[in-house]
Amino acid sequence: MENSRASTTALKISRDDLQTILDHCTAAYPNEACGILAGRAGRVEKVYPMRNVRPSPVAYEMEAEEQLRVMKEIRQAGLWLVGIFHSHINSPAYPSGVDVEQAYWPGTLYPNYPEAVYVILSLRDQKNPDFKGYLIHDGTAETVLVTIE
Amino acid sequence: MPIKVRIPTPLQKLTNGKAEVECLAKNVAELVDVLEKEYPGMRERLSEGGKIRRFINIYVNDDDIRFMNKEETGLKDGDNISIVPAIAGGCL
Repeated sequence: MENSRASTTALKISRDDLQTILDHCTAAYPNEACGILAGRAGRVEKVYPMRNVRPSPVAYEMEAEEQLRVMKEIRQAGLWLVGIFHSHINSPAYPSGVDVEQAYWPGTLYPNYPEAVYVILSLRDQKNPDFKGYLIHDGTAETVLVTIE
Repeated sequence: MPIKVRIPTPLQKLTNGKAEVECLAKNVAELVDVLEKEYPGMRERLSEGGKIRRFINIYVNDDDIRFMNKEETGLKDGDNISIVPAIAGGCL
């Protein structure tokens, strides 16, 4: 898979965890898939594939009670929410306007999960999935490096 | 025993950095009013036209209020309320 060419390493992930993300996104195709990445010090330690309650090729939304349960589990395990991933079906691995807008508290520029790296996996070319990572702040998306360990 | 309300990061600016506050309220609608009184600006962040904003999840003891009585969901002493922004997006 092609990786980001950014200069700042923001997230490290194992091949196995990346495969878990790919498997979840591929299984949901042609709908978008989503999930949470938990870890410490910029390293993914656990992938949580999540249910998309608005399954479609153009939208995702995590199931609210599952989201709370997972976030509590992460906290109780002494981990942090280090990333949020979702797939794009017919568009590149770049945050859409909706992705950026919904990273903020409604009507504000207060980021909901300021420390999270938003990982987007594009399945536009299913034989060559592309993934990239972003920090979303100040209303824009900054490309950051997601390194496979 | 008061109700405990977990405040998400984006709203902690209004609570002087506090991640958890305590209050008394008989339902979620009243909770919004009580929070507004103590932390001005909360109502606008949480609701619009008397309804909790879309993409804001509110849980009473881990239960999503959308599956209870929404803004009329009753609260009792000792309840734990979590306010959590939804994780959502799309490519349009």
